[in-house]
Amino acid sequence: MRRSSMRALAAATFAIFITACATTGTSGGGAVASPTGNDTGKDFAFQSTQFSPVPEQEAMRQQILKNWKGVGVEFITDQEAVIINNITAEAKAGGTGRIGIIGLENGQFSSIVAGNYLQDLSKVTDRNKDKKINADMLTLGKFGGSQQLYIPWMQQTYFLVANKQALQYLPSGADVNALTYDQLIAWAKNIFDKTGQKRFGWPVGTNGLIHRLLQGYWYPSYTGGLVTTFKSPEAVTMWNKIKELWQYSNPQSTTYAFMQEPLQSGEVWVAMDHGARLINVLKAKPDDFIAVPAPAGPKGRYYMSVVIGLGIPKTTPNQGGAEKLIDYLLQPDTQITTFRTNSFFPVIDAQMPADLDKGLKLEADAVAKQSSAKDGKVVPLPVGLGSQGGPFNTAILNTFQRIVVKGEDPSTVLNEQAKIINDLLNTAQAKCWGPDGTSTSTCQVK
Amino acid sequence: MTAVAAARSPRMNARTWDRVLIYGSAILLALWVLVPFYLIFLSAFSRPNDVFTYPKPLLPTDLSTETMQTFLNSTGVFASVINSIAVAVLTIVISLAFGAPAGYALARFTFRGRQAVQLVILASKMFPVAILSIPLAVAFLRLGLYDNVLGIALVHSAMALPFVVLVTAGVFAGVSNELEEAAMTLGCSRLTAFLRVALPLALPGLAAAAIFTFVISWNEVFASSILTLRQRTLPALVLFALQQSPLYFKFAGGFFMVMPAIVFIFFMRRYLLNLWGGR
Repeated sequence: MRRSSMRALAAATFAIFITACATTGTSGGGAVASPTGNDTGKDFAFQSTQFSPVPEQEAMRQQILKNWKGVGVEFITDQEAVIINNITAEAKAGGTGRIGIIGLENGQFSSIVAGNYLQDLSKVTDRNKDKKINADMLTLGKFGGSQQLYIPWMQQTYFLVANKQALQYLPSGADVNALTYDQLIAWAKNIFDKTGQKRFGWPVGTNGLIHRLLQGYWYPSYTGGLVTTFKSPEAVTMWNKIKELWQYSNPQSTTYAFMQEPLQSGEVWVAMDHGARLINVLKAKPDDFIAVPAPAGPKGRYYMSVVIGLGIPKTTPNQGGAEKLIDYLLQPDTQITTFRTNSFFPVIDAQMPADLDKGLKLEADAVAKQSSAKDGKVVPLPVGLGSQGGPFNTAILNTFQRIVVKGEDPSTVLNEQAKIINDLLNTAQAKCWGPDGTSTSTCQVK
Repeated sequence: MTAVAAARSPRMNARTWDRVLIYGSAILLALWVLVPFYLIFLSAFSRPNDVFTYPKPLLPTDLSTETMQTFLNSTGVFASVINSIAVAVLTIVISLAFGAPAGYALARFTFRGRQAVQLVILASKMFPVAILSIPLAVAFLRLGLYDNVLGIALVHSAMALPFVVLVTAGVFAGVSNELEEAAMTLGCSRLTAFLRVALPLALPGLAAAAIFTFVISWNEVFASSILTLRQRTLPALVLFALQQSPLYFKFAGGFFMVMPAIVFIFFMRRYLLNLWGGR
């Protein structure tokens, strides 16, 4: 049992990301394995949007970076806007800056890439070839060009967590490891009918990631797309299903950001969220909860992969030192420590240890089942939106607010929001991605 | 005897009712402010996992400093508190040094364009810092003020100055000019008259301006985040992190951010009451 779950875990770490990109590239460059920059011996800052919760920051500083033997590295977390601001200012001020390396989500790199503020890391990729970094993710890090602008660092996904108390109310015939959205709705209804409690939860509060659940889960699973099918008849069906589920959802959902909190307090029994926002409850009460793959819709069991990459700005004070830090962070031991402490999955071919924490094992098994499901299909975070990424999320969130929370007519809202989405896609000149397939011109709502 | 008591009682009743009403509303207002503090305190001083108990107990039955200790021991918190205090004090010094004379001038002298000056000072509040963020950071990087306590204090002073100028102008306008003139007839120069007569009388108002400045600086996040990297002030260090941190951390951080401001205002309260004609 243990060996099979470990094998599944290893499969998961690789398989989270199978078909996210249309093209599969190889890492460019020759076999030169020498450092591209010298270690100037200067300390530098490592700025990241990840690990912002204080315990995760501390784990990064004290455990993940524990065996780092190089120059002083100060790990600082910040919002995307602040990091972009800092990198831009350092580039414009000239000379060398203070930020040696940045760690961002794939989508957060867009405007820094557009500003041409990042180094080409192809040679760092080459010298780490033996670690077998996921090739699809490396391709993502090239942003359609030949330069390796970021190197994948770690990955995460979203899945479903349920309190074991809820299992008795599963609709008959439903397999909790292969749910459909219809069964999920029936489950929430059943809990409400039998207990009088609304125990399904959504992360709709400030900082909640509801837009990702819509972009990577509900929309593609029901319509087979996101942008192109935004106001299709299938989309209307989907919104009506969500409204149905909302009736049995905890009304406090509009305040939830990290679903692990209401799950741990018992306000909510069943919820979907980002792995890093569920892990604490799994670690705290591994015997009371189960983690399972996301449900499937008529078009399949879609799920979203989140890739975090490492980039070195051209203004780095210590090119060689930052490159060595990338080597260090990609070492199998470091990658596994990262998974153990902060529950982000490796991007390399790493051998998982057998003595994983119970909660982590729950998470790893759920992710493995999700990625190996027969009807499983993976989509990336929105690609190519640049500065329109935020407004795009807002447009999706507003659609949810208007249709589900305020109860407006789905067709009317979809027509109005479609115009907003088309406008911002035109501004960004974004081609279709992920669930919508590829396009030669700007992606538009049909 | 009874007739007198009977005649008095309706008036007594009316007075008692008045008091009940006044004290009742005062208590209600105090609770309005204090209950949230109490709840934050309760959660900040309970064990991390107790925060998730549902329904939550309202009495402090099981206090623990574990959560607060974890928060205070996390990297950078202590240094950032020192930075925050240093920035706030510098901001108060800079903005009073420049704001008080400007306020005095606006209150004492009538000159052409006085109203325009007042308006321009106020209008500077209309510029959002967000638009200036990149140019400001670039300028600070070039000037060597980036990631520096003095740099943030300068920006905070720029933000606080309009308030300080307007508040101190009001304060000095309230100090009678005749008193200063009388002092001058008794041998004071303009400066000593200001220092010995006008300034002591204006002290409560200046204290109020200092409180405003302190609060503006203590709460400011945006400029502090974009102009620093390692020398963070407390809000810049923890605010974003707290939004994403587990619940118990939010309470510990919230408690820690509220406390210094409350302590500061507690000590400055005396001057504020003087300003409002309290006893």
